[in-house]
Amino acid sequence: MSLRDHAIVAYAETKVMEKSDRDVFVLIGEMLESLLDSTGIEKHEIDGLVVAGMTGTGAGNIFWPQTIADVLGLQVGFCEQVNIGGCSAAGCVVRAAAAIEYGLCEIAFLSFSDTHVLEDRTDHSHTYRREWTDPYGLMGPPGAFGLLSRAYEAKYGLDYRMLGKLAVTQRNHAIMNEHACEKLRVPITIDDYLNSRMIADPIRLLDCVMRADGGSGLLMMSRKKAKEKGLTKNIIPIGYAELTNYLGGENLVDVTKSGHQICGEKALKQAGLDIKDMKSFHPYDDFIIAIMLQMEAFGFCKAGQGIPYVREMNFAYNGDLPLNTGGGQISAGQAAGSSENLIEAVRQLRREAGDRQIKDTTNALVTGIGWINYARNWGSSAALVLVPE
Amino acid sequence: MTKALNDTLSVKRSIKHFDFSEPYWEGTKQKKLVLQRCKVTKKYQHFPRPVSIFTGRTRDIEWSEVSGKGQVYSYTITERGPPAFRGQEPYALVCVTLDVGVNFVANIVNCTPDELNVGMKVKPFWHPLADGTHLFMFQPDKDAK
Repeated sequence: MSLRDHAIVAYAETKVMEKSDRDVFVLIGEMLESLLDSTGIEKHEIDGLVVAGMTGTGAGNIFWPQTIADVLGLQVGFCEQVNIGGCSAAGCVVRAAAAIEYGLCEIAFLSFSDTHVLEDRTDHSHTYRREWTDPYGLMGPPGAFGLLSRAYEAKYGLDYRMLGKLAVTQRNHAIMNEHACEKLRVPITIDDYLNSRMIADPIRLLDCVMRADGGSGLLMMSRKKAKEKGLTKNIIPIGYAELTNYLGGENLVDVTKSGHQICGEKALKQAGLDIKDMKSFHPYDDFIIAIMLQMEAFGFCKAGQGIPYVREMNFAYNGDLPLNTGGGQISAGQAAGSSENLIEAVRQLRREAGDRQIKDTTNALVTGIGWINYARNWGSSAALVLVPE
Repeated sequence: MTKALNDTLSVKRSIKHFDFSEPYWEGTKQKKLVLQRCKVTKKYQHFPRPVSIFTGRTRDIEWSEVSGKGQVYSYTITERGPPAFRGQEPYALVCVTLDVGVNFVANIVNCTPDELNVGMKVKPFWHPLADGTHLFMFQPDKDAK
């Protein structure tokens, strides 16, 4: 058996909310209900629970996944929380597959709900921040990406209009996505992007994700089991790799490079595909420039060639390389424990994306970005290649 | 971009140290920049760690005074700071590659927005804190070649 012997058999998702009108446990319960209803699986058959650790509400509770199992009345042989920041959702898929393959469980509920606007208990106090960045007023991720962007600009040059083009493409997709946060479903232009106020120069407001609340979930089992159950619209993970603390044993690191170079190659090799074979791209997007840096790291274009590449390509759902067709986190709202772009890829491969349906659903590449290191690029990188059954 | 940068010196800072960073903070009392170096590889590392990031061993850590001079690798101008820095905006943060080969993130003072550039030479600026330590910052090094 291998990764590709396992299947995502169903997905569920709430609308992204500026602030949740209900408790996170309600969102998680709604996701479970939806997954059971759409598959005909009974609750007692679920014997695995895999929870994305990117949760502001669950943060600080060291018993978070057990608490969820308790709230839902699930008896499970595998109960896991995946703590690799924005790589957590993609990381949950491979860990669920591994647990099924190892015989720890047969049917896993992957839970990604979070209400970090309503209730955030994230704690960064026992990290480098308290000594090395908080005293200088470095404003978290926007500050780190400000430093990253300026370093990129000094090395390669940066046409901000092209970053604006990516922002506009994703926004157009959010407008077509009824689950995107309503506040963000208004058209923007490249000039709106350029004129949006500076947060951490050169990072503008429209470079940044807006935190939002929402939930999603997946149901996974072996392909064999899915067949027995008569489930047919299955999505198969055929390649996955992750990397945390890229070049962690070196003291000076080029911030324009990331672990995606390594895990992209590894995931594609496992999938038996070349980057040029990928039919849609669903990169983790906390800042617009992260999308372009990933295009370089995965080899869609060469290092330093992101801007000309963006200039020549059309990333609309019906363009050359469909990009975050649900709007990405930046235009749909940063909710649901880093899972939004993964859920959108699953929906697209099942051909359930309505007006924004991608034509070629042979495969999709989903990524994760997690955490921010001191004076480096991001802390965790993940790549997940999906294909329909 | 012509708006003057604030130096943030009026911000009240109370910094909780990790115990393994104490030699750094002790050094700042005398305005000395003391960084960790690996005894085996002779390479520096910053921020301080409980082990050498090169060998993974606690016993390979030593501390060594460095000049604090270097050049700007990158910078960002904060237009919206965290709560303690509200009202100080705009202020600059620089990531400086010190001449011993580590990057150090800090504020830069005595610097205009027009001067601030990637590659500019900088030197230490020591800002006194209430506990007798100093906060290491940068300022332009106009004498540097």
